[in-house]
Amino acid sequence: MILHTLNRSPTESRVYRQALAAMGPDDRLLLIEDGVQGALPSLVRHFGELDGQLFALREDLEARGLAGRCAAEVLVVDADGFVTLTEEADKTVSWF
Amino acid sequence: MHDESMNGEVLVILRHAPHGSSWLREGLDAALVAAAFGRRVTLLFIGEGVTALVAGQGAGALGQKGTQPTLEMLAMYDIDTLLVERQALDERGLGTADLLLPVTTLAPPELAATLAAHPLVLNF
Amino acid sequence: MASSEIYRYLDVAGQHVPLDPEGFLINLDDWSPAVAEALAAEESRALTAEHWEVIEVLRDFYARFEASPAMRPLVKAVGQALGPEKGKSLHLMRLFPDSPAKVGARLAGLPKPANCL
Repeated sequence: MILHTLNRSPTESRVYRQALAAMGPDDRLLLIEDGVQGALPSLVRHFGELDGQLFALREDLEARGLAGRCAAEVLVVDADGFVTLTEEADKTVSWF
Repeated sequence: MHDESMNGEVLVILRHAPHGSSWLREGLDAALVAAAFGRRVTLLFIGEGVTALVAGQGAGALGQKGTQPTLEMLAMYDIDTLLVERQALDERGLGTADLLLPVTTLAPPELAATLAAHPLVLNF
Repeated sequence: MASSEIYRYLDVAGQHVPLDPEGFLINLDDWSPAVAEALAAEESRALTAEHWEVIEVLRDFYARFEASPAMRPLVKAVGQALGPEKGKSLHLMRLFPDSPAKVGARLAGLPKPANCL
């Protein structure tokens, strides 16, 4: 299982499509930095069917005032959760 | 996709076109360093990165070094496995005959398998 | 890439050839066989026919690829040009002790290899 991180908003960069194309069936996607914009209910559709595999970093959501505005299917993790996700993955691939 | 030659140790993903930024050059440099230290390196060109392989490139308008000599040098570093996202070629109206070097094209499910098969993945 | 910092000059038959701190040419066009001889003499090396054929391989590599080879590709290029007996790191270590890729590039008038040990 690979942990993919994405730091760009889907409205600003198409790199999220490359991340999705490179994801295996069990891989996870963590939205960080500007990537957390994609956790908004109106934007989360860009990630298709990622139930249980789509995460967003709490610190980056809070910094943008988005912590309470995430779509329900997005799993919010804090920095410790980020570490746990990294440990559970075989490797991490960054999309930027 | 279960060909042994596709399961190198290091996968370098190249996503950027030549000249517009330094990402392509940095990715190729990383691949050469890894190969110089004896790691088996696979290159994966996706998105805009596939244009790095188009034949007939030159130096940049300001005299920046072209990518073609570096691509031709890859074989000297035993970097022989060049994988290309087929969809990225299709989107740009390119075919493998337009490319400088022989490549293997990958359909979408093979992309994920390629990432999974390499212990180290470097994204540029 | 060649360094642009002139550290000292090498005198070759009345020509002042600028060198960087590690003895690489500042201007690659300054290279000539006489410059190679002078660089080698500084380290008390004498260039034999076996050195010259490797220097030729190095210069050809740079002309083709616009880069100085690291050790592994140098071994491969020498093997392709001069045969498998010479395409061995042992042979190159004997000709250019310590670091064949670096020493060879210096004598061949190429930039310092980017990733050599």
